[in-house]
Amino acid sequence: MFGRLVRESFVRNPRRKVLVAAALVVGMAVATSTLTIALEVGDRLAREFRSLGANLLVTPQADTLPIEIGGVDYRPVNEGAYLSETDLGKLKTIFWRHNILGFTPFLDVPATIQQSENSDPILAMIVGTWYAQDVSVPDGTKFKTGLSVTHPWWKVQGRWFHDDANECVIGSALAATMPGVTAGKVIYVTSRSPGDSAQGQPGATQAIALKVVGIVSTDDAEDKALLVPLAIAQKLSGHPGQFRQLFVSALTKPADTFSERDPLKMTPTEYDRWFCSPYISSISFQIKTVLPGTDVRTIRRVADTEGRILSRVGTLLWIVTLAALGAAALAVAATSATTVLERRAEIGVMKALGATNSLIAGIFLAEQLLLAVAGGAIGFVVGAALARSLGASVFGTPASPRLILFPVILGIAAIVAFVGSLIPLRRASHFNPAPILRGE
Amino acid sequence: MATLVQVENLRKEFGNVCALAGVSFRVEAGEWIAIMGPSGSGKTTLINILGGLDMPTSGQAIVDAIDVGRLDESGLTRFRAQKIGFIFQQFHLVPYLTALENVMLAQYFHSTTDEKEAREALERVGLGDRIEHLPGKLSGGEQQRVAVARALINHPKLILADEPTGNLDEANEETVIQLFHELHREGHTILMVTHAPSIGRLADRRIAFAHGRLVEVPASLKTSL
Amino acid sequence: MFWRLLWKLLRGSSGRLVVAILALVSGAMVISALLNLEFDIERKLTQEFRMLGANLVISPGHDAQINGAAPAALMNESEAFAAIQSLKDPAVVAAAPFLYIVERAGDTPVVVAGTKLEELPELEPAWRIEGQWTTPSRENQIPCIVGRNVVRQLHLALGSTLLLSYLGKTTQATLVGIVDAGGAEDNQVFMGLAEVQRLAGLPGQIGLAQLSVRGTAKNISEYAARLAAALPSYEVRPIRQVTEAEGDLLNRIRLLIGSMVVLILALTALCVLATMAALAMERRQDVGLMKALGGSIARIVALFMAEVGVLGAAGGFVGAILGIELSRWMGQRVFGTAISLRWEIFPLTIALMVAVALAGALPLRLLGKVKPAVIFRGE
Repeated sequence: MFGRLVRESFVRNPRRKVLVAAALVVGMAVATSTLTIALEVGDRLAREFRSLGANLLVTPQADTLPIEIGGVDYRPVNEGAYLSETDLGKLKTIFWRHNILGFTPFLDVPATIQQSENSDPILAMIVGTWYAQDVSVPDGTKFKTGLSVTHPWWKVQGRWFHDDANECVIGSALAATMPGVTAGKVIYVTSRSPGDSAQGQPGATQAIALKVVGIVSTDDAEDKALLVPLAIAQKLSGHPGQFRQLFVSALTKPADTFSERDPLKMTPTEYDRWFCSPYISSISFQIKTVLPGTDVRTIRRVADTEGRILSRVGTLLWIVTLAALGAAALAVAATSATTVLERRAEIGVMKALGATNSLIAGIFLAEQLLLAVAGGAIGFVVGAALARSLGASVFGTPASPRLILFPVILGIAAIVAFVGSLIPLRRASHFNPAPILRGE
Repeated sequence: MATLVQVENLRKEFGNVCALAGVSFRVEAGEWIAIMGPSGSGKTTLINILGGLDMPTSGQAIVDAIDVGRLDESGLTRFRAQKIGFIFQQFHLVPYLTALENVMLAQYFHSTTDEKEAREALERVGLGDRIEHLPGKLSGGEQQRVAVARALINHPKLILADEPTGNLDEANEETVIQLFHELHREGHTILMVTHAPSIGRLADRRIAFAHGRLVEVPASLKTSL
Repeated sequence: MFWRLLWKLLRGSSGRLVVAILALVSGAMVISALLNLEFDIERKLTQEFRMLGANLVISPGHDAQINGAAPAALMNESEAFAAIQSLKDPAVVAAAPFLYIVERAGDTPVVVAGTKLEELPELEPAWRIEGQWTTPSRENQIPCIVGRNVVRQLHLALGSTLLLSYLGKTTQATLVGIVDAGGAEDNQVFMGLAEVQRLAGLPGQIGLAQLSVRGTAKNISEYAARLAAALPSYEVRPIRQVTEAEGDLLNRIRLLIGSMVVLILALTALCVLATMAALAMERRQDVGLMKALGGSIARIVALFMAEVGVLGAAGGFVGAILGIELSRWMGQRVFGTAISLRWEIFPLTIALMVAVALAGALPLRLLGKVKPAVIFRGE
């Protein structure tokens, strides 16, 4: 009988129900979409930020002081320590290997450039690096990395060099001082300090011919340099298989007070928590473990900004989400309340017929719950679609609906509809049926 | 005597339901008519049409030489404000206005408000000391008396009362019926729907309804002279 | 009588109005808070994106040669700084000269930057310092601050004395602060400019000047243009601006927040609408009665619309005040600084609330067409 009463009550007067249902659907749709986005956005944004620059710098621990002015290292090649290229694959074996989006080694060599074999040598800095190099990872796979991953904003007019070719890319400021040098021209490069490295190999003293394939604008010190494949720089300096610094681009979680603590002073549980969170400090730690003898430094200019923005935007989004949930709850509660108020007459009649307060409340609440579930379900679907399109237009890839939100949304809808109806129902329980029946 | 109300073959259908199936009768000015019959017989529908609250499906209803069925929306509004005074079974006073303001409301919709006149109207129904009370603070009988004062304030040609004592206890019923006696003596034309024969006996004529038709229409006591 | 009625309407049915008022106030609150936030967000986010530190460089010009450890082409210190002074722009937060030479500490070559130490904290607020930025200079007690890598390499500590030599001349400096810049400056030593100029034999010369200028990218380039006009032989260049990629990301974040705000606004409006419609339904009895009493539709509808309008305005007003407070809190919570309050939000919210409330009360207009008899029949 109860079921029949609820069904009858539910089916009656659909016109009034439409408004409640609409409020429920829209409310839950908004709640779903904002929640979905808020959950995803942290990851999405972090990924976006990686296009703004590498956030870690790896240098040899035993290194001497870099003689760096204006971003250029002036040390002679036979001075200071080097890192080995072959170890780099290990970076993709650490716990947070999937957060290592890319890494690029650099080797600076003071050199001279000649436009032809016999023209005047011009002093210039050679920067050896990778553009899109395949690195062998110990598990057998290959990982493509280099400037294309870590420095995507370096725009080149023409194209980038192939890492195994005798090609080079000239910095825009340097190109301005050498008007004859354009894409396609071949230039000759000689090292100014041919090394006698620990391997005992003399550096190239003859000129190496390189074809200029592009002009790069970096808005940085490299504009005054000539970029060459790492292998060429290694040949020039007599340090095969080696480099000076490594820039790493890692997906990190914004630092907080916990992440800044000394890992040696943490309890085992704290240590696990720290290790298993992609803080920049724990990723740095893991890098140091697979690349022994290195010093891993956070490039704070990038990391700090990123951290700041991530936490700000994150907080902002959660606040907006809260507002959305609040508005959704308000919409549902208000419409539930007004529905109960409207149906005072029905309640009066039921009471006159001898229905107990709890039975009346039961029927109404059951009806509201049914509405809530239906509205919540539809709202979830609409909201998921909304989140998808929002995610697509903002981040390029659609935000996938989190199915776990479905019961959450339904729960919220039910609770809010419940609470919204409760207060007027309580007031209704005090109704005297007689005046209502008389029509007042 | 002048004919105030002339109803000719009045029909009212609500979809498939026929509430009035061709009703004809006349009411002279100054008569107190009791419209009687079981519920669902069409009494209230007739009153609603005569009062301009509803439109007939066919037929004529002429009140004070105005064919009510032909009036447009604004015509009906004016008709109700000027010609008719309504008294309902459920009183229908505005709950958040005082007795005085409820009467003034009728003045407001007619033309302009006149507080003094409203006050006097309430004094005449014996509520001089209750004018600032809200309906919630008045007894049923007092509320109905306010309704009567309200119905009279614009000097209507026709008073339509739908079971005016239906919601009242015996004592209050007595008071209100006394009022109607006074109104009748003053010459007002009253059409009262009632199902109580005791009240029906007080009227000049009784018109009986059944299934949307008149059962008997006794000639007017006045016209038979 | 109209106003008396209106007043009584608003006063008398307070019980029924509670839900409506709540909806209006909270709706207005959410709307005004979010609108305020939305208007200010671009400015705030742009600020966040701008990396802290010097954002303008004056350098000797294109012909700077890269030729090893000798200093590059030089500028006249007083000329550059006179130009900065003459422009007298309050947006300039800090300006410092720099002269780089490579000195030797014992056997180790180290980059030494001569600058005005007291300008550094303003110029580079992201740098962390242990110790002090500078102390008053005394004879033979020249203060210097040292990058943490240098400290590590040369095994220094606060209070250590550095003996730096350059082409035969020496300086004795006291380490008063250790700098953690998170960048190349960790490998450098910073000292008073005069001392470095003396050592290098380059009095009055500097290698470059760095400035920190407040404002949008447009403001900064405008200032740079003016400064360049005052210094025709030098190059004035903004650095570390919001790049195109950053700008794009910024816009996308704005779009995201904006869309969410729009959604919430729509929802809130819907909620208010629904509540108002319910309120209008409640009024049906009164409307029917007034019609029966001969009230014209125009008058009746005007009365109830006025009621709804007053509710909307009042709710909007209170809600807007609360909303402004809320947005202040939000700004504090998210950005740590106050959000600027736009007073246009006030009338905008109130107008919006009134509009939505009236829209919700539209059923009342339709009621004007309904026969009173229907209402009395109790449907």
